[in-house]
Amino acid sequence: MSSVVSAELGERFPDVAALTAALDKTGYLAGDQLSAALFLAVRMGQPILLEGEPGVGKTEAAKALAAALDTVLVRLQCYEGIAAAEALYEWNYPRQLLAIRLAEATHEQLKDTDLFREDYLLARPLLTALDHPGPRPAVLLIDEVDRADDEFEAFLFEMLAEAAVTIPELGTRRAVIPPVAILTSNRTRDLHDALKRRCLYHWIGYPDAARVAQIIRRRVPAASSQLAGEVAAAVGRLRGLDLTKPPGISEAITWASALDVFGAAELSPEAAGQTMSVVVKYPEDEQTVRDVGLASVVGHD
Amino acid sequence: MTDGVRSESADGARGPNGSGGVGGSAMPPADVAMLAAGLGVALRTAGLPAGPERCERLARAVTVMHASTIAELHACALATMVSDPSQIDAFERVFAEMFAGSLPRGRPAVAAPQQGMTVEPADSASPADSPSQAAAGDLPPVLRQVDASASSAGDGEGDDLPGVPAIRRVASATERLAGRDFAELSPDELRQLATLMRELTIAVPPRRTRRYRPRKDGARLDMRRTLRQARRTGGEPVRIARRAVRARPRRLVVLCDISGSMEPYARALLQLMYVASRSSGTAGLAGSLREASRPRTEVFTFATRLTRLTQALAAATPETMLAKAGEAAPDWAGGTRIGAALREFNDRYGVRGMGRGAVVLIISDGWETGDPALLGAQMARLHRIAYRIVWANPRTQSSRYRPEVGGMAAAWPYCDAVVSAHNLEALDELLAALRSPAVRRPPVLPAAAGSTRGEAAPGAGQPGPAGAAPNAFNLPLTEPIARRWTSWR
Repeated sequence: MSSVVSAELGERFPDVAALTAALDKTGYLAGDQLSAALFLAVRMGQPILLEGEPGVGKTEAAKALAAALDTVLVRLQCYEGIAAAEALYEWNYPRQLLAIRLAEATHEQLKDTDLFREDYLLARPLLTALDHPGPRPAVLLIDEVDRADDEFEAFLFEMLAEAAVTIPELGTRRAVIPPVAILTSNRTRDLHDALKRRCLYHWIGYPDAARVAQIIRRRVPAASSQLAGEVAAAVGRLRGLDLTKPPGISEAITWASALDVFGAAELSPEAAGQTMSVVVKYPEDEQTVRDVGLASVVGHD
Repeated sequence: MTDGVRSESADGARGPNGSGGVGGSAMPPADVAMLAAGLGVALRTAGLPAGPERCERLARAVTVMHASTIAELHACALATMVSDPSQIDAFERVFAEMFAGSLPRGRPAVAAPQQGMTVEPADSASPADSPSQAAAGDLPPVLRQVDASASSAGDGEGDDLPGVPAIRRVASATERLAGRDFAELSPDELRQLATLMRELTIAVPPRRTRRYRPRKDGARLDMRRTLRQARRTGGEPVRIARRAVRARPRRLVVLCDISGSMEPYARALLQLMYVASRSSGTAGLAGSLREASRPRTEVFTFATRLTRLTQALAAATPETMLAKAGEAAPDWAGGTRIGAALREFNDRYGVRGMGRGAVVLIISDGWETGDPALLGAQMARLHRIAYRIVWANPRTQSSRYRPEVGGMAAAWPYCDAVVSAHNLEALDELLAALRSPAVRRPPVLPAAAGSTRGEAAPGAGQPGPAGAAPNAFNLPLTEPIARRWTSWR
């Protein structure tokens, strides 16, 4: 990383607390360990792998970090079969054909290198992130990397370790300002050790009820603190019920805003019943919840 | 870097332990290195993959963060030395051993643990040994498998593949074994069968991927290649290159029951998985032909607990694999909780992706000691995500067998095929069942599945479409069993 950029980042975030505060300002409440890990990722220029169950805010962390750095977020959603053409670059074929025709019409001599130039290159996310001109590094979110297949993981190595990619026709392109790379995974399969070795790591756990309430307050400003607290506690109880899909933070947020739409000032069993579908996503789970009783879920015993 | 450390010295002098003087900077670089290396060694002893590279990264992290408290050091180490949630416990234990014991939780300078550090090697040598024994007990299975497979790789290779080439000529003695039930075979005889098993090929139906491969009669234009070739012909795309969607084999997920009654069959079928995955990988001649349909295999065993054996499959012998599974589930004589195991598989692996579109092979006799309703519900979940479910149940070899009650009855409606796979000859049927494509059939509704058989219906409380449900037994079974079943009715 160029010294100017790292100096600027160092000034912006002299310590972990500064980053926590900046993330806080964007509406993301990061735990101490998470902000320490993100801090290291930014300052060391090292990619970071975030894992955790669905809905604990892995993707949000990347978005918040981009906002805190006041830079662009380049997102690459992985899926099985993703390849260089979707992730890195593609040549602009129609334009190349046009150039050939144009050269013919004007009787120009066209050389090979004329066609394989920057102008004809379509940058996909990885290249976009590498080419980001600054002043601060782009945040590159490689989302759900476990969905991509093993070959793609190996393809990422050069990118993550060297902040460089190789395009056969153009040669190796090195990033001016290496992006802050954030990888997320839902652990549908084990990532290769070689990939893990290149990354910092943080496991985002489910936070305690007080913090969930804080997060709800932050994301659904219309919800009263009473409602936020009740929703957080109720989601905590639901998570204790051994459901097929335990609700996460994102469900808690959606639930609070759904309750807000209904105009509920507090979480009554009736209101919970009306809005149950935003937290509980399986018929089996809904049955479990109704067996336990809505009143006990919302804490009115 | 240097200026980071220098500013740190001012900070460190405030600390209770600032060693005073000019050299009293809390962390001269050399000490950070020592600290990182010491922690790395301790973590390695506990089984974490903490190599020199990671230690270096920890040292850099500490410098960047100007870490001056144990909490900050902890944050640095957590981000740099750990790369899996299952490692966190071991990490915390080692970290606590190194730092928490000798120091108050207050605000100790990092300089202080260095004293602890010098004692540490001697200090941790004794605990490090016994924990490494204990560690084998409570370390995550993945780590232990890596460990064991590394250690057993040498002898494992030797005695399982004694240089027997997989050729067609097989001793007649071995052939006689083919018709005998797996349960009657001695371990030696079973090993002989490996020669025959090597000739079998496990194949599963293909799945379209999003990747392309060049193909003359492909449905899509390959613009990149077309233009590349056009350069040779003066920019005129004379030859149009085409490409087609590549097909890949589906994932094969094997869930193998290793409880007492199933053990011989489990041993044989795991040997089949092992041998088949090896032979097609190395033999080449059959391998290249079948390349496209050789599946990626994930193997799990269960009795009361689920254990992932995929990594062991790559390196160890079937014997080691079974031994490991037995170790991991010491209560294996206590009975089989298929439903609980399936639930764990669904929660931790299946629904997240491993089971999606996969061919699932369950090897079990269906003796469920837990609640059959749970098994039914979990089979229903699996059925919704998997491509096909094949159940290998040695008890179905008997013509008197019928899935009337208990676990098998609960699971039956969700199986696409039930095979016996009880001896080598019956394996053909198993392979055919794995190979055949899925047949679309109406979804099985949990309430209906329960009520059809008059079992305790799992979804009894549910309102419902029970009446409208199709006959739960109206499903494509493999032929022999289907015939048996209908004739019995």
